[in-house]
Amino acid sequence: MAAEISDRVREIAEARDLPESAVFERALERGLEDLWEDLVVARYLDGELGREEAIEHVGRTKVERAERERDVVEEDVDWGLNA
Amino acid sequence: MTLAAASDAGPLIHLAEIDSLELFSTFDTLLVPETVYEEIEAGGAPDGLSDLSYELVEADESRVGAEELDAGERAAIAVAKELEAVLLTDDLAAREAASDADIEVHGSLGVIALGYGRGLLDRSEAASRMRALQRETSLFVTEAVVERGIRMLDEQ
Repeated sequence: MAAEISDRVREIAEARDLPESAVFERALERGLEDLWEDLVVARYLDGELGREEAIEHVGRTKVERAERERDVVEEDVDWGLNA
Repeated sequence: MTLAAASDAGPLIHLAEIDSLELFSTFDTLLVPETVYEEIEAGGAPDGLSDLSYELVEADESRVGAEELDAGERAAIAVAKELEAVLLTDDLAAREAASDADIEVHGSLGVIALGYGRGLLDRSEAASRMRALQRETSLFVTEAVVERGIRMLDEQ
């Protein structure tokens, strides 16, 4: 895994003509954004954050997608436990 | 209660990716349309598929109008409708089309919950496989939603 990451960083740096440190910086920013959005969605689904506030942070599309997924997963688990 | 299911490619691929194809044994009958089998084979049949007990069935997918779906999804819907089986799919559009046609429909997470409900998996193993489904497979589902599903296992 570590070797694969190094190879990819090198390849991206060469292809984009960037120093490897800039590639790491962008990767960190993107990864952090994903983790932040996961946290916002989790807090919304757990009732700790209002819908409008969640939409403000991650956008309507992501909130609506999470709501659809929540309905599907709840339906599936409930069926699995009782079928 | 006798339980028959017709699957499209999604659950077969996703559960194979986490070495969980044995969970399909919770169904009394597993129906795989030929079109679905061909789709899976084209991508390289997953390990364990040959050990799985299923019936390969012909389906007339042209009878299912949802043209935004692929042929395998339409074939699985046709089989589920004709044989009154549960449809297994991880595709949200296929799920909606099936619901509109009054077909009972569930996905890979439901199959894991079923394995837990029927005693094939203990709670810890079921939770671990649900997390693996989210982290290690090509199935897209939000982490927080999976965690919510895992908490539901405790509410049984």
